[in-house]
Amino acid sequence: MSDVFSNEPGIEAERLRRAEEAGEDYEVGLESLSQWQLAWRKFRHHRLALIGLGIIATLIVVAIAGPILMPFDFATIPVPDKIVYQGSPPSLAHPMGETGGLQRDVLELVVNGSRTSLFIGFSSMFIGVTIGTIVGSIAGYVGGFLDNLLMRIVDVMLSLPILFVILVAGRFFGNGSVVLIVVIFGLFSWMGVSRLVRSQFLSIRESEFVEAARAVGVRDRRIIFRHILPNAFSPIVVVASLIVAGNIIGEAFVSFLGFGVSPTTPTWGNILSNALTFIPLGNWWWPMFPGLAIILTVLAVNFIGDGLRDALDPRSRA
Amino acid sequence: MIKYIVRRTIQAIPVLFGITIVVYGILLAAPGGPTAKFAQNPRITQEMKEDFKRAWGLDQPVPVQYCRWMGFCSKEVDAKILGVLPAPAAFIGPKGWPNLLPTPLSGASNGVLHGDFGFSISTGELVNKAISRAALPTLILASSALVVWLVVAILIGVYAAIHRYSLFDQAATVFAYVGYAMPTFWLGIMLIFLFSGPGLNILPAGGMTETRVSPPFGSDDYWVYFGANTVAAILDIGKHLILPLFTLVVVSIAGDSRFVRASMLEALGQDYVRTAKAKGLPARTVTFKHALRNAMLPVVTNIGLELPLLFTGAIVTETIFSWPGMGRLTIQAINSFDYPVLMGILLIAATLTVFANLLADVAYAVVDPRITY
Amino acid sequence: MTETLSAPAPLGSPPAHEVLLDVRDMKTHFKVLDGIVPAVDGVSFSLGRGQTLGIVGESGSGKSVTALTIMRLLDIPPAVIGAESEVWFDGREILHMPLDSMRRIRGKDMAMIFQEPLTSLNPVLSIGEQIGEQVRLHLKVSRHEARDRSIESLRSVGIPSPEARIKQFPHEMSGGMRQRVMIAMALSCEPKLLIADEPTTALDVTIQAQILELLKVIQQRTGSALLLITHDLGVVAEMVDHVVVMYAGQVVEQGTANEVMLEPKAPYTMGLLESIPTAEKRGGRLSVIKGVVPSPFHLPPACRFEPRCPYAWDLCHEVAPELYPVVGSGSGRRARCHLHQAAGESRRVAALELHADAMRVGRGLKEDPA
Repeated sequence: MSDVFSNEPGIEAERLRRAEEAGEDYEVGLESLSQWQLAWRKFRHHRLALIGLGIIATLIVVAIAGPILMPFDFATIPVPDKIVYQGSPPSLAHPMGETGGLQRDVLELVVNGSRTSLFIGFSSMFIGVTIGTIVGSIAGYVGGFLDNLLMRIVDVMLSLPILFVILVAGRFFGNGSVVLIVVIFGLFSWMGVSRLVRSQFLSIRESEFVEAARAVGVRDRRIIFRHILPNAFSPIVVVASLIVAGNIIGEAFVSFLGFGVSPTTPTWGNILSNALTFIPLGNWWWPMFPGLAIILTVLAVNFIGDGLRDALDPRSRA
Repeated sequence: MIKYIVRRTIQAIPVLFGITIVVYGILLAAPGGPTAKFAQNPRITQEMKEDFKRAWGLDQPVPVQYCRWMGFCSKEVDAKILGVLPAPAAFIGPKGWPNLLPTPLSGASNGVLHGDFGFSISTGELVNKAISRAALPTLILASSALVVWLVVAILIGVYAAIHRYSLFDQAATVFAYVGYAMPTFWLGIMLIFLFSGPGLNILPAGGMTETRVSPPFGSDDYWVYFGANTVAAILDIGKHLILPLFTLVVVSIAGDSRFVRASMLEALGQDYVRTAKAKGLPARTVTFKHALRNAMLPVVTNIGLELPLLFTGAIVTETIFSWPGMGRLTIQAINSFDYPVLMGILLIAATLTVFANLLADVAYAVVDPRITY
Repeated sequence: MTETLSAPAPLGSPPAHEVLLDVRDMKTHFKVLDGIVPAVDGVSFSLGRGQTLGIVGESGSGKSVTALTIMRLLDIPPAVIGAESEVWFDGREILHMPLDSMRRIRGKDMAMIFQEPLTSLNPVLSIGEQIGEQVRLHLKVSRHEARDRSIESLRSVGIPSPEARIKQFPHEMSGGMRQRVMIAMALSCEPKLLIADEPTTALDVTIQAQILELLKVIQQRTGSALLLITHDLGVVAEMVDHVVVMYAGQVVEQGTANEVMLEPKAPYTMGLLESIPTAEKRGGRLSVIKGVVPSPFHLPPACRFEPRCPYAWDLCHEVAPELYPVVGSGSGRRARCHLHQAAGESRRVAALELHADAMRVGRGLKEDPA
């Protein structure tokens, strides 16, 4: 994906050459680095990934500090005695404009929405990764009938149009609360991780170093936590970044349709809910800024995912 | 090959069964249930709710409900055993064959197994009828989207690969990143604001036909109108199709053009491409006959896996553009807790997914001679 | 895919008719981020009609790039071809001609066999299609006739039941069979020049001999010229009339196969020959050329072999040697070493003696008291 933007391998080769010329023993320097130091070293040279990391860090700051600086209260209507259907376009006082109807400040909505949207994206990912790791470990470790059963369940889940099922679940189980939405999204985002972890188990279980560890009496639990899961970590991290991006978009969609988080807690999706009715008035700023926030976030997460993939791939050399 | 297809189809059966259980389970676990819609209505008494439940068999034990929905129990026996778990005899159809078999063999006609999804709770209409009415608009949207998606994604990908690092390639990369990060529904909203808002207002904001001119799509009157003004009617649909189509394909094109590009670049770097050049073949033959054919192998599989996204995308797009298809039907059904309709749609979507995967594998085997079954 | 050159220099005059291929001062450099890699740096040689020439060198010596430049199969950029470089083939200059004209020569008059038979055939096209498309393109024959010709050329390379084989796909064949298919494909339009780039390196030893034998027989039967690129001196001795030895992008020695193999004149060739294990050297220590091939980014200032050369002296570090004619040999005999000009006169005899000793017993044994 990233060959145009990413740093060219030649730059690193050039550094290596200079290091050689300067008489440094570059290779020996590499040897002493741990796997994570190495990964960070490679990640650092992925320009887009760093930009992504910067964006996400900024967004997290906004999500934490923003709502304190400009608190949102659903019951408070900015101009209670004024009934103007038309919203107002971006201005100095309201850089992202005001919504039609209740005349809410779009910036305030977007800032408050960032907290909910990011929270949902990341925490549902943690739930998904946890479930996926557990299911994948059980399937890969126990094998046999249980493995077969669990993997068929994964097949079934993957055959369902997941967003659609989430819509149904959001409507039937949801009560507009954020936690429920997090749980629902978490429950439907573990399948990829479980397949990954299972395949890692299958390939490593038979490998020689595990046989050797077994032979000297290392317990299974130690093998799992010391050898198998750390090996599965890199692909999981990459998949996790995709889950975060997918769930942020998914939540926005579900909330936009009114089946997700209730409008009392703004998210980037439910801010948009009423925007469609204002099409004839041309209040374009209303849907635009929350959408741009989503795009920016997803872009940043995808960049980080790309960077991680390159950094954690042992075949790619920094 | 035929043996392989048959084997894969048979393997799909347990998955489909699993899907029915999951779908049923999700809907069953939902609080409220079909009577929830009466909650706000003061004129509906508790007694009326009980009657409603009894009439729809919702007071039965869960396995009975599931078996009835699936059509394991025959119609005749069904009436007698309401209230008890189905006896083994209940699984035998009128013709003496197990009820699991298709209609001509078992003689049974109700239940999912026999192609009957029951009645819509909210409208009382046959689910089959509601779905088939909504199927045509979705089919029009999805199939035209599929064609545009594939053609554009492949063209962009191949062109970008051939002219690697060119301005076009870089523009395509930016488009791919942004397009892939863009929520479909947001793109739809912005397009409506742009093309149907007060500024431009050149394209319709929603619907499938100009309702002031023609009868509603799908009605008998409409087909009479369609017969009389075929060209105008098609152009009208086409005009309404532009925005939803664009909305639906952008994300897919963004992702797949990168995939095609990467695959094409890999193929162009292969030794056999050098061989083809060494044979003196013209550049076009080298690119399209030797490289593209190999580059398409992973793309074929990827497309098969992405086909289901078209369905999810259609739900989104149809909702925004009030396109009278399956997506809209879905949202209506969700809003009115219409279980039978929802289960029907979910099951159809899941079946399509399973067969799209099968199709992808078969297509792969057709284009790659190295795969044998 | 624009492979045309920017400013074609005025061309020299064509070589005599008997010369099929005349490479003059070929320079192929690669522009990469780290700088410029002079993969081929001023290589000249010629090959007569129906004759055989071997290019020998280690990997990285530029021998494959030489072949790819002749075929014009390199992408420009990153490859840059010297403006003054010329390749004359069959009376025409091909390095600067429009690519369309070159395409008509490729596969028809000039064909190439690659190193990797496993990956050089298109996996999704049948053998018959891959040979047939070339025949149809160049000989303008019908599909049916192309099929007959494909069968014929498969038969000529010793593939049993070619009628059945043309329907097969590459993955259904062994490596040796695939290389035979590559040869059949190269020969299908009866080329005047066949370039074989390490045709046997990827094959089993027993298959290697078969393929080489086949190449030799076919070359003699069809009368096409053969440019054989290899790192294997044994193959050279068996297969070709003339040899060009390359090191770090330059020709370091040339002559007939017998001359080069029996009386090497450049220290690099001497070293190569000394490092071949033979029966006489049994028990002795096997000699190797000390050091490594220099990085293309920092080549030695003068002679590129100087840091590894056992005979080097100050001059070698200061003045780049030219390809000097070898004293007392025929006109085609040349070596890139100061030993073969007046300044090296005194050292030459000693060097050649040292080499002769090394060939007999292996280098270093003499000083070894054991």
